[in-house]
Amino acid sequence: MRPGVLVTIVGMAAATYLTRAPLLLALSDRPLRPRLRLWLRLIPLAVLPALAIPMVLLRPDGNPALTPANPRLWGAIVVLALTAARANLLLSVAAGVVVVAILRHFGF
Amino acid sequence: MKGSFPLVPSVFVYATVWGGLARQAGLSLGEIALMCLIVTAGASQFVAVPMIAAGFPPLAVIATTYVVNMRHYLMAATLAPAFRGFPRRWLALIAHGVNDESFALAVARRNPPDPWFFLGSVVAVYGSFIGGALVGSVLGGLVSDPARYGLDFAFPAVFLALVVVQLRRRGDWAVAGGAGLLALWIAWRFLGNWHIVVAGLVASGLGALIMRPEDA
Repeated sequence: MRPGVLVTIVGMAAATYLTRAPLLLALSDRPLRPRLRLWLRLIPLAVLPALAIPMVLLRPDGNPALTPANPRLWGAIVVLALTAARANLLLSVAAGVVVVAILRHFGF
Repeated sequence: MKGSFPLVPSVFVYATVWGGLARQAGLSLGEIALMCLIVTAGASQFVAVPMIAAGFPPLAVIATTYVVNMRHYLMAATLAPAFRGFPRRWLALIAHGVNDESFALAVARRNPPDPWFFLGSVVAVYGSFIGGALVGSVLGGLVSDPARYGLDFAFPAVFLALVVVQLRRRGDWAVAGGAGLLALWIAWRFLGNWHIVVAGLVASGLGALIMRPEDA
């Protein structure tokens, strides 16, 4: 096990436990305030695209790849279209992966 | 536990995919097993693997994990009244079991949820999650050139799919789109690896201030 990765995983575990334990142990009857509930619901909706969009649209050297010759762009369009059409989640992901593999096979 | 059996196949497959991708991203079997045992939070583990593979510093991965998992506060607060009367030492252990699937199932069944139903579901979900991840990590070791099969794209693909299924209100679209564009700009213009946490917190915070609280 690499030491840096070990530190990362233990830190992830501690950070995650900090999101689970305090409010369960508090045993409070008071529900969270509506605006706080709204914020907690919106966080994953903001974090996931913040992670995904740069992975799709930036090249490894950090410059934008906003061209039709970027296989990941087409993969992303396929995934978004299929999930929006309520296709099965894993199926949508698999379709996106296949599109990227095919485009790369043809040299894009 | 029986009531949670329908969850088992989908959690198992999800975990298998994660285990396979984690292996191909260069995580060892030991690292994969440890993460499953002590982090045990699927979405954040999907998020962490490409960051670790790209050599992000531990603090950036840990902070991102925290933000991704902040939704647990919501679940823990909703579950808390159901666990009144349980010894606190148990609760400290039970807390590790808070997860999306068990929460959704227990709350859909009864509110406030039945604590024993929730615990049974936690056992079912954890067993299938860890089993699936181990099967996946063994299978993942068999594919030698993941990029050739587009498998590196599976990470952003999972993230995009998870966003789309959560979009409910018009404001949700603005938050998701705004966060993506802001992160793209930060990642392009600035060095470092904080675009995910910064864009995630700014976009969700603005959304929570501007949208109506009833949209929660």
